[in-house]
Amino acid sequence: MSARDAIEIDPPYDFPGYKSTALRAPKQPLIRVAPHPLEIAGPAFSRSFAKESEADLTTWGKSAPLGEKMILVGRVLDEDGKPVRNSLLELWQCNASGRYAHPVDQHNAPLDPNFLGQGKVLTGDNGEYRFVTIKPGAYPWRNHPWAWRPAHIHLSLFGNAYAQRIITQMFFPADPLLPIDPIFNSVPDPEARQRMVCKLDLEQGIEEEALGYRFDIVLRGAKSTPTGV
Amino acid sequence: MGNRTPSQTIGPFFHVGLKWEDGEKVQFAGTGERVVLTGCVYDGGGTAIADALVETWQADPSGKVPGAGAAVRAYGYSRAMTGSDGRYTIETLMPGACTGAGGEKYAPQINVTIFARGLLKAVRTRVFLAAADATRDDPLARAAGARAGTLIASQDAKDRSVWRWDVRLQGKDETAFIDF
Ligand SMILES: [Fe+3]
Repeated sequence: MSARDAIEIDPPYDFPGYKSTALRAPKQPLIRVAPHPLEIAGPAFSRSFAKESEADLTTWGKSAPLGEKMILVGRVLDEDGKPVRNSLLELWQCNASGRYAHPVDQHNAPLDPNFLGQGKVLTGDNGEYRFVTIKPGAYPWRNHPWAWRPAHIHLSLFGNAYAQRIITQMFFPADPLLPIDPIFNSVPDPEARQRMVCKLDLEQGIEEEALGYRFDIVLRGAKSTPTGV
Repeated sequence: MGNRTPSQTIGPFFHVGLKWEDGEKVQFAGTGERVVLTGCVYDGGGTAIADALVETWQADPSGKVPGAGAAVRAYGYSRAMTGSDGRYTIETLMPGACTGAGGEKYAPQINVTIFARGLLKAVRTRVFLAAADATRDDPLARAAGARAGTLIASQDAKDRSVWRWDVRLQGKDETAFIDF
């Protein structure tokens, strides 16, 4: 049994509280195999793949978007504490009213013509990243009666190896919707759940302009594959 | 150890945020045999999934890991979004066969990661662009046993550059997914 088995960190595929898992969760056991040479390597994105302007979601429109401006900073590390450098981090989110600039989103909340909700960066030499955005709103979804998603930012990470590729969500501290959100609570370990919650970090903000938040992200380590390779 | 950030679903609203220009066209430094990999992603009820993100990562035509190069986007990597019919399509070059560190022989294949609403974590697997008998010694084909057939793309009888591979997340002929 590997260290990864001892604590279940990721949610299960089948989680009845989240209805869309019912027909989409694989039922057969995963096949455990040694990593293919491609899986311990990873795609290399040039720094120009993420333009500098894509780290600031508040300058996309003609004027500032509505909402509470925030600076999001953090580091991407692996389980051994090593920084994940030069790695693609993509972010998407709804606007301050809880509406995505997305054709499928039918939430009866206003679109913001100055907010697209899309950003990307490559991490720096210490795995660090910084986004400027606005705090997303909560929004209703049809999973169950009175279902509202807590405010969250979607994050997509490549790491330095294909095996590290992950998509996750970042939540905000003390959100009263967290205890009743099936997606957040699909993570079995309460401590692991808290690792999806950012921390207020005032000094990262801009005085009289934006609040600062910190969110560090930890990816799989090089040695933590199920086959121990 | 054990302090990883957990996975969460991609949700239904990723199309704008994760859009890559020509994401479904794989770039390489060199040239090779042009192939198209296409198919549909289905749920356990046989319904096509219109909100899946399919990403592929593969060796170059000589079987090597594509390195950094002049391209802005990473060589060897693609991102496709399924349409309303559940179909994804990627345009690429035929991956070469390769040999692992322990001498294992890998048949020509493409590594696949699929994210979707309703998937709290990605499903991952590898699809073979080779006839079944050419995959017999491949480590995954061996490990998958009777389920290996779900990982073999079929070459179109008329257009030999087109390979078809459907993904079934659940149910009869469920695709063999892997953990590595
Ligand atoms: Fe969302």
